[in-house]
Amino acid sequence: MRYSDTLIDHFRNPRNAGMMREPDGVGEGEFTQCMDLARFYLRVRDGRVEEARFQAYGCGPTLAACSAGTEVAVGTALEALAEIEEGRIEAAVDGLPPERRHAAEVVALALRAAARDAMTRRGVH
Amino acid sequence: MNRRVYLDHNASTPVHPEVLQAMLPYFSERFGNPSSVHGFGREARDGMETAREQIADFLKVSKDEIVFTSGGTESDNLGIKGLAAARGSGHIIASQIEHHAVLRTVQTLEEQGFTATYLPVDGDGMVNPDDLKKALRADTILVSLMGANSEVGTLQPIREIGRITREAGVPLHVDGVQTFGKVPIDVGAFGIDLLSFSGHKIYGPKGVAGLFIRKGTKMASIQHGGEHERRRRAGTENVAGIVGLGKAVEIRNRDMAVEGARLTALRDRLWEGVRAGVAEVRLNGHPTERLPGTCNMCFHNIESESVVLGLDLKGIGVSAGSACTSGNVEPSYVLVAMGLPLDWAMGSVRCSLGRGTTAEDIEYVIESVVPLVGKLKAQSPVAGSARA
Repeated sequence: MRYSDTLIDHFRNPRNAGMMREPDGVGEGEFTQCMDLARFYLRVRDGRVEEARFQAYGCGPTLAACSAGTEVAVGTALEALAEIEEGRIEAAVDGLPPERRHAAEVVALALRAAARDAMTRRGVH
Repeated sequence: MNRRVYLDHNASTPVHPEVLQAMLPYFSERFGNPSSVHGFGREARDGMETAREQIADFLKVSKDEIVFTSGGTESDNLGIKGLAAARGSGHIIASQIEHHAVLRTVQTLEEQGFTATYLPVDGDGMVNPDDLKKALRADTILVSLMGANSEVGTLQPIREIGRITREAGVPLHVDGVQTFGKVPIDVGAFGIDLLSFSGHKIYGPKGVAGLFIRKGTKMASIQHGGEHERRRRAGTENVAGIVGLGKAVEIRNRDMAVEGARLTALRDRLWEGVRAGVAEVRLNGHPTERLPGTCNMCFHNIESESVVLGLDLKGIGVSAGSACTSGNVEPSYVLVAMGLPLDWAMGSVRCSLGRGTTAEDIEYVIESVVPLVGKLKAQSPVAGSARA
């Protein structure tokens, strides 16, 4: 199984890892078949993500996809993030082997949940 | 470029330079078919018979009791199915933590009408001989137990097991693929009737292995064709591989004791170093009755594949206990049978040391593992909480 250089770089040097105090939105995604869990924290300003952080349990690609997911999230409007698809995350790590596509799924799931949480807290539905 | 450290010797070992030298002529000038009567054939046969002698000497058995096969899996299949076919029906006993080459073979026989009992193991991965005594039945035709578990390295009490099977008059098959050439095996004193072993675990080539079949053991062939290996295993022999296997065994015979002591010290240093630097880590397998070079550790609430990838980026090759395949991950059935909770079993990593492993390698691995696990823990949303 070969991983892209981008994926390896995110795994080796994860961006925005760790929790965030008093976030504006929190969301989790879980892939129960392999027990992967991603949690995202969002700081929002003017309807856009200003800062994103993650915590993750899972295989290397999942951890890397979380890191890439925070970069995708920053600057994105909450409404758009609430609809983000797996393909965006997969593209952000320059592709995933078929047997690791769940890494993008769990990250997209968590980002959507975090965005919706932030929208709910702001009274936007 | 990172330093490269290979700690996956239980999966495979590099061919020993002396083994390669011994094999080379059998690819070119001594290429004959050992079944041919002419001089070319005789040269090949001589090489093969020398290997048979080297192995028989090591095991202190007759060379007629050694059959060459294509791998440890075939040896297990031949031993178990061959004996079952000769009996026709009956009950087989194995353990829950056997290699799949044994487990799936016994399960296949169950589908054909044989019955089976799978013995549990304790928290160290060891079978209790009393459980074997209780499992024996009047129709038990075979007991098949591994000499050592490939994942955690626990050595089974084969001497005691053999005493029980001998008293019961039941043949004992030992899957010795992980023990052969690493720890002493006395097939006579241990009461072993069938012993599987393989070349590439002991610095021999891949694709060649053997089965010791005690004289008088009723066996049927499971592969039909020519009259090779005294009609016990049809197929032209892998002569160069067999020559390499023989040489590898001769070297193990010479080096095993010293090498075993060296690896035990390195293995223990690795564990002590990791334990000193990492909170929430546990050693799997028996603390002392364990293969010299095997150190299996669990990191709590971390997925083992992340550790394997992180170490790979440092040039270190280790093996993951749980592997994610097509988005589905199963914890190691061995660790589950040993009673490990899921939040521990998912984080198991096996380091298996070998003749090329140095003290400097081990220090490098410790220096790499400790910060890696710290980093993964810091990223984990479940660290510090049970997730079973």
